[in-house]
Amino acid sequence: MSYSRIKLFTCIACLCLLFFTSNAQYNNLHIPDTISGTTFNLNIKDTFMQFLPGNQTITAGINGDFWGPTLIFRKGDTVHMNVHSYLNDSTTLHWHGMHLPAVMDGGPHQVIPPGTIWQPYWLVTNNAATFWYHPHLHKMTEDQIAKGIGGFIIIRDAEEAALAIPRTYSVDDIPLVLSSRSFDASNAFTTTSPYGDYMLTNGTMNAQVGLPKQYVRLRILNAELERGYNLGFSDNRTFYVIGNDGGLLDAPVAVTRVPLLIGERVELLVNLGGDAVGDSINLVAYNSSQPFGFPGSEPSSTGPFGSLLNNVDFKVLHINVTAATANAITALPSKLVSNTYLTAADATVTRSMNVTDGTPGTGIPFYFDHTPFDLGTINKTVNLNAIEQWTVTNSNVFGHSFHIHDIQFKIISRSSGAVNAYESGWKDTYYLPVNESVTFVAKFSDYADATHPFMYHCHVAPHEDGGMMGQFVVTDPAGIAATQKDPADFTLYPNPATDRLYISFSDPTMTAYYVRITNAVGRTIYMLPRPQLAGGIDMSHFAFGVYFLQLTDEKTKKTITKKFIKE
Amino acid sequence: MIYKYSRHSGLFLLLIITTSLLSFNVTGDRHVNDFSLKNVNGKLVSLKDYPKAKGFIIVFTCNHCPFAKLYFPRLNELNREYLAADVPLIAVSSSDTVVYEDDTYPKMKEKAKKEKFGFPYLFDEQQAVAKNFSAQKTPHAFVIWKEQGKYVIKYSGAIDDNGANPEKVKNHYVANAVDALLNGKEVSEKETKSIGCQVNFRK
Repeated sequence: MSYSRIKLFTCIACLCLLFFTSNAQYNNLHIPDTISGTTFNLNIKDTFMQFLPGNQTITAGINGDFWGPTLIFRKGDTVHMNVHSYLNDSTTLHWHGMHLPAVMDGGPHQVIPPGTIWQPYWLVTNNAATFWYHPHLHKMTEDQIAKGIGGFIIIRDAEEAALAIPRTYSVDDIPLVLSSRSFDASNAFTTTSPYGDYMLTNGTMNAQVGLPKQYVRLRILNAELERGYNLGFSDNRTFYVIGNDGGLLDAPVAVTRVPLLIGERVELLVNLGGDAVGDSINLVAYNSSQPFGFPGSEPSSTGPFGSLLNNVDFKVLHINVTAATANAITALPSKLVSNTYLTAADATVTRSMNVTDGTPGTGIPFYFDHTPFDLGTINKTVNLNAIEQWTVTNSNVFGHSFHIHDIQFKIISRSSGAVNAYESGWKDTYYLPVNESVTFVAKFSDYADATHPFMYHCHVAPHEDGGMMGQFVVTDPAGIAATQKDPADFTLYPNPATDRLYISFSDPTMTAYYVRITNAVGRTIYMLPRPQLAGGIDMSHFAFGVYFLQLTDEKTKKTITKKFIKE
Repeated sequence: MIYKYSRHSGLFLLLIITTSLLSFNVTGDRHVNDFSLKNVNGKLVSLKDYPKAKGFIIVFTCNHCPFAKLYFPRLNELNREYLAADVPLIAVSSSDTVVYEDDTYPKMKEKAKKEKFGFPYLFDEQQAVAKNFSAQKTPHAFVIWKEQGKYVIKYSGAIDDNGANPEKVKNHYVANAVDALLNGKEVSEKETKSIGCQVNFRK
């Protein structure tokens, strides 16, 4: 037997093993709890979870062991986040897809040190759709996402509420987060290869779920480190894409397969009304025979980019059809919402970028335009309210998943042919295959900030950690430029403080851009972007002692530090 | 794909170097230095304070880590069993207290009282002892044996192979190592991977 034959045989044996073990026993799909309202308490901590027989796997979770709660926002509400990190390491939490001020965005600049509370808040202006939150600490994103930090955000609005589509969470409206992980001999996660050997659907291996005999809505997120998914059903039935990253489409789009790259979301309707109660159907990743450059198409099952799930079709979710619910949706709506999309004619600024480097065999990572990401460099400056057209060209060696913060865009062209109907809605992330140029148009509205940048990057975790990222600021040319004069002064009272600490500005027009409170040994306790200070700062839970309050002035962006005592 | 960024290759190299060093040291019987650390009762504890001891079970642990918390009752059991055989257990916390208020000395005292620790719980404030042992995680157990006046590492790694379910443990690594040494045998499994929270060393 030749070497290649032995290898082939081993591969087949592995696959058979995988197939049989996955058939042997299903586990009930975990569906994350929801949090609604306008205040959201998120505690990030190191924890552990039982994935495989034997020892537990060290994970990190938000209010749980792996993957966090689903946050339900209403469009028009101002949402306040209390993010408390108990991790060993610094982290950040980015609200993927949200249109918000850069200082609230949770990108690589909003570092949350261990033990710190970070309190961003913003007005929800995005349309009803499926978003998510995840760590974004530069060079640590892969490790921290791999540990399980992240969660869904579902936005609801009036237009979506008026439609006859499924929206009962965990009954006929199911969130599905797709990822895969590998384990070492002691059951610890290993990211030696970014492609995992075990499929995890909502953190569940070999997941099964009972779904009612009617139209069911699946909100699917690819939260992988690197793998793409080419999704379809095991009987090749037609299903319908109703929403993209940033909102519902104008009308459902019929498909039998839909690709979902890293960071992308898609909302599907699938009709189980024709199935018998007790029937089963599988949601499958048809990942075999994908063209070169599709992440996960690599033929290797071991090594730095190996995985038992590479270049094979594998089960994502086993669905058991159950009895219909009382208010079942039994018809497909012909129309969804009326979107007014931007076109190329609207754009006043045109930009283009190339995927570069990534030289084989040298370990050189991918970059945009030969420029590795640098936290101190602003790569692009966008005028507030500008409508811009961005083209990213990938003549390099591998596929990517391009994501940009702050905005939802409309893809207007793909050099390989027409833009696919299933990606015709509002997007914040798209597949950029090899030998392709993709162009989008977007408006950069509402939030100007010359200090804090937004990111654009490849969402493949090792690629962004490796420097395939850039940053842009949105500036207001009509706004008042930062002056050279010193900021007005402020005083803290009462000092010593007990329950609340108040700030009194010597100039009443002065506002705080950022407040950071540290204790006597320099540990950060509070990070408050653009805090609303009228009600004071709660310090009832502070230990007695000396603290320092660093306040950055909104106009001058200069920082003044004051000491106070908690008793 | 094949084009991995440099951080990982660096990490790989580091891994290769550290694992080769470790395995070299284990086969070459790596030894550690005595120390003098403050116990939760305020007194200093050193290995030389135990002239009768044949060896020690040294466990690097801490208050805050969820995986370390799972093992506190098991540390008491190990100590009860092997103290009688002159192999006392000593727990050491080397956690960065600037980052973790939970791991400060007053909190260690509270924990030892609450969990009724029958063994010393030492505060490695300078992290020098953890560095000397190369402790990686909490918990990370070492079995050291007195040989010709030196403290030789005979086992390094996990306490056993199941954190959350003590009843499902198949391999009692530390107990097996001590049993073998007490019977004058070689330790069959000299090194396992300790799992838990990373010990963060201050720079």
